[in-house]
Amino acid sequence: MSRTSDIVVVGGGVIGCAVVQHLAALLPRDTRITLLDRGAIAGGTSGSSQGHLMVTPDCAQEYAFTHTSVRLWADLQEQEGGFDYNPTGALYIADDPADVELFATLRDQFRACGDDAQVLDAKQLREVEPGLARDLPGGVFYPGDGVVLPMPGCAAMLRVARRNNPHVEVLSHTAVTGFEVSGGRIEGVRTVDGVIATRNVVNAAGVWSPDLAAMAGQPRLPVVPRAGNLAITAHHASPIRTQILEVSYLRVAHGAAQADPLRTDQDTGAHAVNMQPQTNGGCLIGSTRQFQGMKRTVNPELLRRSLQRAARYVPALASSPLVRTWVGLRPYSLDKHPLIGPWPGLEGMWVATGHEGLGITLCQVTGLLLAQQFAGTTPSVDVKPYLPARVCA
Amino acid sequence: MSRGAERTIDADVGIVGAGPGGMAAALELSRAGLTVAVLDEGSRTGGQIFRQQAEGLAARGRLAEPPSHEEGHHLVHELGEAPVQVVHGATVWDAKPGRLWFERDGASWLLRCQRILLAPGAYDRCIPFPGWTLPGVVTAGAAQVMVRGFGLRPGTRALVAGSGPLLLPTVTALLSAGVEVVEALEAAPRSAMFRALPGVIGNAARLREAAYYLKALLRSGKRLRWGWTVFGVEGDGRVERATIGRLDASGAPIRSTARTIDVDLVCAGFGLVPAVELAALLGCELEWNPLRGGWTTKVDEQQATTVAGVYAAGEIAGIGGAEVAMAQGRLAAAAIVRAVHGRQVAPRTLARARSERRSADAMLRAFPVREGWFALADASTVVCRCEDVSYDKLGKAAAIHGADGRGIKMGCRAGMGPCQGRICGPSLQALACRAVGAPCTGAPMDRPAVQMPVKPVRTATFLDAPQG
Amino acid sequence: MNRDTRMDGADARRIVGFTFDGVACEGREGEPVGMALWAAGNRAVRHASTDGSPRGMLCAMGICFECLVRVDGEMVRSCLTPLREGMDVRSGGKP
Repeated sequence: MSRTSDIVVVGGGVIGCAVVQHLAALLPRDTRITLLDRGAIAGGTSGSSQGHLMVTPDCAQEYAFTHTSVRLWADLQEQEGGFDYNPTGALYIADDPADVELFATLRDQFRACGDDAQVLDAKQLREVEPGLARDLPGGVFYPGDGVVLPMPGCAAMLRVARRNNPHVEVLSHTAVTGFEVSGGRIEGVRTVDGVIATRNVVNAAGVWSPDLAAMAGQPRLPVVPRAGNLAITAHHASPIRTQILEVSYLRVAHGAAQADPLRTDQDTGAHAVNMQPQTNGGCLIGSTRQFQGMKRTVNPELLRRSLQRAARYVPALASSPLVRTWVGLRPYSLDKHPLIGPWPGLEGMWVATGHEGLGITLCQVTGLLLAQQFAGTTPSVDVKPYLPARVCA
Repeated sequence: MSRGAERTIDADVGIVGAGPGGMAAALELSRAGLTVAVLDEGSRTGGQIFRQQAEGLAARGRLAEPPSHEEGHHLVHELGEAPVQVVHGATVWDAKPGRLWFERDGASWLLRCQRILLAPGAYDRCIPFPGWTLPGVVTAGAAQVMVRGFGLRPGTRALVAGSGPLLLPTVTALLSAGVEVVEALEAAPRSAMFRALPGVIGNAARLREAAYYLKALLRSGKRLRWGWTVFGVEGDGRVERATIGRLDASGAPIRSTARTIDVDLVCAGFGLVPAVELAALLGCELEWNPLRGGWTTKVDEQQATTVAGVYAAGEIAGIGGAEVAMAQGRLAAAAIVRAVHGRQVAPRTLARARSERRSADAMLRAFPVREGWFALADASTVVCRCEDVSYDKLGKAAAIHGADGRGIKMGCRAGMGPCQGRICGPSLQALACRAVGAPCTGAPMDRPAVQMPVKPVRTATFLDAPQG
Repeated sequence: MNRDTRMDGADARRIVGFTFDGVACEGREGEPVGMALWAAGNRAVRHASTDGSPRGMLCAMGICFECLVRVDGEMVRSCLTPLREGMDVRSGGKP
């Protein structure tokens, strides 16, 4: 392990790896970049996620943010590949006739962003996705979305990083135990294997980012874990080929939450099922949302609700063998926007966290924006809503 | 009425596994007046080691049967007469203390009980070698299923390779089915035979078994080769040839000794791995015990696990074979009866379990897993069959993510397929360490993390699961 | 039936016909489809989804998922699925 580094990124998930990738691309080739994770690379939330790349058209800012990031993923595929990149598009469906009105609304939202989506009637819906139940009223197809495998995605990002910069050092199973701070600035990172002298640290530790901030004597970042129960079916059993989401998903997941995120004993009741086909033939089903602290035990009743919705839409799913269930913890930012940029409370401290359910989608643009801010170049997307300064008292 | 009430059964004790351990326990518990329900995945009682023939089939007279099987048949018969409910074709997929959810005939069931005894047995340890995914390569256990269970003659010319006490039973089963065993290869060195002696001497039943197998081998004119194993298999869409050769002191192939034989069947068995997934799901503490097969369920002197009301007997408490399983099954039953009726456990029951465990350990010490076996795989050898991960890909993933279980999963999905890591799991870490040149102490770097379903079941089974 | 691939001895189970990828086969009623297929001379029952390599029964006890075939459209483990008269069995593999 090097005893000095120019910039240490803490957190080897998709966010941390994308930060390393873009730092390596933007900064001089001899910059010493170190990535630390207390466990396996992609072993945290990234390893539990669904891997969907999702463009959200709610507003121009969100659209620019997600669309840019999904484009960057496509670039990574072209440049490197190796993560089962699958441009499935996304099919938004509903079974409640009241939700059918939302189809046109969704298409209009995409149009307002300069993009397009196609409203499908019942017959067209079945042509696009024959695995769907026959009584659905229709849906909306947006071609821009896709599915990736996040773990090999991290590996791909690190390979690209190393090609641009041979000094990129990746240290898994190396937990941070503290920071060396002097005169209001970072001087080093203490790890289980010794101290790394550095003047720059990026906190990309996801649901552990508040702990890491506290280790540096800073207030805990306003990020709390938001659990999701997931399930995956065995191979050769995926009855779908597109990515399928209930049209209420956008409203439920990214709109106003009904529950108080600081209470960890509640189910937010925010259920909107979504499903991704896997290239090995399995089908991944999510996604519940609860605040339950760091608990990662599966809640069978909640999972049952998701799977019942899924089977309602895709009848063949009922006979698909279930292979695995698990819980992932999304880093939920209390003001619903990620934190990307310098932390004003401590010189040399940077933050890249709080992506909730859009971590996989947004990691690329996050890495880019962080690197651009670090390098002092103009950010490709308006970064103001994401600056951590807004939460720094 | 709660969901699935009509698919719920009740018993004082729920037993998972109708093999020697489960059968012996069920009989003792029933005699003590407790109601028992036994859940078994197979279509007949007997488990793997006492596998009974399919109903209607009568090739038994021709099947070679070692002396221990007499007791097995006896147990099967007695269980059939006892007031014990045995559910066949039952796959247990979720459990809580006092609750066992199972799938049977596509329907979702629940067994409610006061106490649980886990005796689900073990599965074959698979060591990857080039060409092992070719159709016609089967595990040693599979050979027994096909011959004993279903009266098949699975091939005409067979190679049997592997290590441990199950090698000879595999050979004799094939011989009695009329298969020519071209080569029988024990990977351990000849000295293992002498190391195994303490496990056999002083134990009359084991002596009888050993004598039986040696006689069968002598009669067949076949000779076991010690310190040999399969180097690779080839063929056009199925097994046609195998390359075999000698191993060095570490168990690694000495390539210069390689020779090729024509075979149409390869049976490979490198020992057994305890099936501890259900115990882990129930929250039972596991212990790493490489001598006894790897992760084993921690039990006290009377087979109680660390979870109140949950007991474990047989292979999952440490590989040991039928005698250990029966002794531990009886001991667990006695412990449960003591908990219910206050009747003390007979010292003889305890002593028997201990003595059988000692004999079994002596056998196991003679046939340890050797690290050289993990040098059989080459770059393109598939190490995770479900996800088609090659040794090369495994190494690349381990280099970035780490050679521990989680790192391997993160890096290449090995272990994440429908077999839930049963086939590849026991080898992955050793292979990964070897690939990245890291020292492999053998001790796993992380505990298995188990969530339901512990066996793949239809989504509908999960959805319709009776409420507890 | 299958004299070379089945042991001698009385067998009270009914002989039933079925098809494998359209080819007529015979087996014993109630035995696992995988056993019937093996006895009928088949070794590969599917092809791996990544590289198309032929795969067949490995563990014969429902653990390895290598023996997957399609019966009535559903993917099942042939080593566990009982054979019935007239079954239409198709090799497993990517749909």
